[in-house]
Amino acid sequence: MSGTDYNYDEQGDFFPFFILTITSLVTIPVTYSLLKPSKELENTATRITSDFKPEHADLIDGQRKKQKRRERRLKRGIVSVAGWTVIGLMIYLIIVTARTTVKIWNPYEVLGVSTTATEKQITSHYRKLSRTMHPDKAREDLSRNITAQSINDRWVEIVKAHKALTDEEIRNNFLLYGHPDGKQSYSIGIALPKWIITDGHGKYVLLMYAIALGVLLPYTVGKWWYGTQRMTKEKILIASAGKLFREYDNDQGDSGVIGALSSGEEFNEILAGHKAENGLSKLEQRVLANGSETSISGSLTRKDREKLEDMEDSRRRKVLTLIWAYLGRIELDDETLNDEKFEVAPVALRLNDAYTAIALAYGNTKAVLSAYHTSQNLIQALPPGASPLEQLPHFTPAIASAAEADRSRTHLSIQEFMRIPVDQRKSRVVTPGLLNDAQYNKAIKVASQLPVLHVERAFFKVVGERHVTPSSLVQFVLKCRFMPPGSGNVPDIDLAELEDVDPDEGDLAAITGRKDDRSGLKPIQPPLTYAPYYARDHAPRWHVFLADSKQGKIAVPPFSFSTFDKPILDESGNHTYNVQTLKMQFGAPPQAGSYTFVMHMICDSYIGMDTKMEVTLHVEDASKAEEVESEEEISEPDEDTIAGQMRTLKSGGVPGADKAKKRRTQDDSSDGSDTDGDVDSESETDTDTDTDDE
Amino acid sequence: MWPFDAVDWLTLLAPFAYLFVLVSSLYVFTNVYRSRKAAQAASLEPWFPPHLQRNIYLSLLEQEDPKVPDSFLKAALLRRATEDIHRIVQIRNAKGALQVLLQRGSVGDDLWQRFQRAEKEIEEELRDVVNEANAFAPNWGQTIFQSASEMAQNTQIRDRLTDILATSESEKSWWDARKAAIQSSFMKELDEEKKSPLTADTVLVERGGPAEKGGKKKKKGKA
Repeated sequence: MSGTDYNYDEQGDFFPFFILTITSLVTIPVTYSLLKPSKELENTATRITSDFKPEHADLIDGQRKKQKRRERRLKRGIVSVAGWTVIGLMIYLIIVTARTTVKIWNPYEVLGVSTTATEKQITSHYRKLSRTMHPDKAREDLSRNITAQSINDRWVEIVKAHKALTDEEIRNNFLLYGHPDGKQSYSIGIALPKWIITDGHGKYVLLMYAIALGVLLPYTVGKWWYGTQRMTKEKILIASAGKLFREYDNDQGDSGVIGALSSGEEFNEILAGHKAENGLSKLEQRVLANGSETSISGSLTRKDREKLEDMEDSRRRKVLTLIWAYLGRIELDDETLNDEKFEVAPVALRLNDAYTAIALAYGNTKAVLSAYHTSQNLIQALPPGASPLEQLPHFTPAIASAAEADRSRTHLSIQEFMRIPVDQRKSRVVTPGLLNDAQYNKAIKVASQLPVLHVERAFFKVVGERHVTPSSLVQFVLKCRFMPPGSGNVPDIDLAELEDVDPDEGDLAAITGRKDDRSGLKPIQPPLTYAPYYARDHAPRWHVFLADSKQGKIAVPPFSFSTFDKPILDESGNHTYNVQTLKMQFGAPPQAGSYTFVMHMICDSYIGMDTKMEVTLHVEDASKAEEVESEEEISEPDEDTIAGQMRTLKSGGVPGADKAKKRRTQDDSSDGSDTDGDVDSESETDTDTDTDDE
Repeated sequence: MWPFDAVDWLTLLAPFAYLFVLVSSLYVFTNVYRSRKAAQAASLEPWFPPHLQRNIYLSLLEQEDPKVPDSFLKAALLRRATEDIHRIVQIRNAKGALQVLLQRGSVGDDLWQRFQRAEKEIEEELRDVVNEANAFAPNWGQTIFQSASEMAQNTQIRDRLTDILATSESEKSWWDARKAAIQSSFMKELDEEKKSPLTADTVLVERGGPAEKGGKKKKKGKA
């Protein structure tokens, strides 16, 4: 190696600097990512307070802790600790290692004159010094450690310095380059200690290179690549996605979906090895026992039961039975089985997300609804067809059926139950053998905190237009309020709140939808799902989609909402009943006409809070829309509305000036100018009667 | 000899050894990778379970002693065509969805491969059935799938019907129980009415009761 051109860092002065830079490049970002608080919805939301403890709360908490451990970024922690140790060590080394820069002999310093001094001043100063420092003049002073020798040396130095400074060339060299010999050559150094390349260490360095480039790099790239290949977008294994796709069927109901979910490969990790069969017979006996009092036997149809019993793969059979046990909240009398029961649910929910994606790709409304209902069932640990009342603490099937008193085939939703007059409601469930007062109060307390999204108005609009024209970008606007079940004296809605005012024309960001009114502010989250049996935290999401009821297909795929634009609770924890605005955009159909859709709004976490209503989209011919526009007044909004007032303000007109004219035109325009897709009148918006329990 | 003496053979060997190692490792890698891929593709699970109806048909066809009558064979062929109809419907429905999912990265590549293989298989199968049908009667191949799809639909409708009818038993018993409950409560109410002397208050209360119940029922009916 030709090391002659470079200086290696023989004293090890710069090596610590090098290491320090490299380590901090890695350590600081890693530490940041380690300490950064998680922004996930589940970590920032509030909770619904209740001191209800379900059976086996310890097991559920254990599962939660297990998940926390899994999420703990241990590797990153180790890396950052090691990194900071190295950084500390290097800083220590830098401080400790003395600088060994060679001190250059400086005649100015020796004489004690400034560098700006002229030759004359230097000579005079030299004379002055010679009077005191000359060996003939200076005195020995042993007490101050001044010997004849030192005086001599000092004088020689002074003479030398004087000589150097009186020489024109040397002085100039000093002034220009700071060195008596003139310009110095630059040297390039490498911040590596020399021992790395000497003494045959070269081959080890080469070996390190070979390992880094030939082994580590391909390994990491390959691991990353195959890691991404193993997982789908929904974060499930590719193999599971394939199986779910194969298991998909348009017509399998909610229980069919649960059967399909059991095919996931993810369960193999939970039930690895001998766990696949342990306790299977006991489990089956518990869950499938004929005539047992468990709620599960009712919701398992004969077909499902046959399917379950015909399953050859014992692991899958166990998984499916565990899921059913979880949904039926069945006591399994076995610590490990109970633990496994709570463990399968979150996995099944993740698989269900993938199943939902598949159902959406098929676009079949019924199948998508089944998938969403399965998500509700999994989170609330209730079998399909169970009473929504069982979501409340202490409510068992028996209590729920007592609460439903009139014994109809359909179940009461929590909202309906809470609408029953207080005394009647209480007398139904608070009886010996059912609930006591404390339990009842606990349940009611939870019920009155549940976020039920109530649709107040739904309409279509195109930003900046009065009509929906063919192929335009339509906004479906939903105005809703959070109304907890049983909330009395709900304030009336301010009608202005139900309008959706277009942003100013100059406000590009708002028009393109990149910004809502609350940009920069923290979005508002509803509280986490109240799901005492589900071993994870889950933030509720609302899915809104439009379906074509004639074909049973989805017309506009779901938009999901998990955050809202206005506070749900005020400081003291009371509901504000603010009007929330949800918007979804899609392209209008290319032909003019009226299109009737069924709007579904489904909360993925609570049962019996789905909203279903008909909405009609009127698409006007482009030519007709223009015509209307040219006739100015015809579709002028009524000035009683906010939009109308805004309009008059903008145009500067005096309200009422052209009232007469408007009156005249109003009659014939009443039909055409109704741009806000026809929301079915009051009775339809009363969504509680329309809720879809199946 | 001059040129050979001047060469340091050992040093010259190094680059050649390097090249040799490089080329051979790449060669080994591609070989292993390809064979693995091929094995993987071969081991892919078939899309559909074994075709039972086809197997039945073929074994009937091959049976020599005693020979199976033609009518049996034709029926078996029709059964086979019906199953093919089920499969082709499934394939057609799945195709669009699978393409979307593949684009989005929600399913893996091998599922798509399996699907394409199944698609090819079903094409072959259809052609085979048409040929067989033509062998039985000229031009039957053009109509066999039409009749098969009608058969398939018929079975589907009948299945639905049996499913619905199967629930009648439980529905009936439930309604009977409900009717009995209503009747008994009504009788009890009547008895109480007879027992207690009529005062203005009780009348008012009792009027409120049934009216409220009626209102609730209306709501239910709508839902």
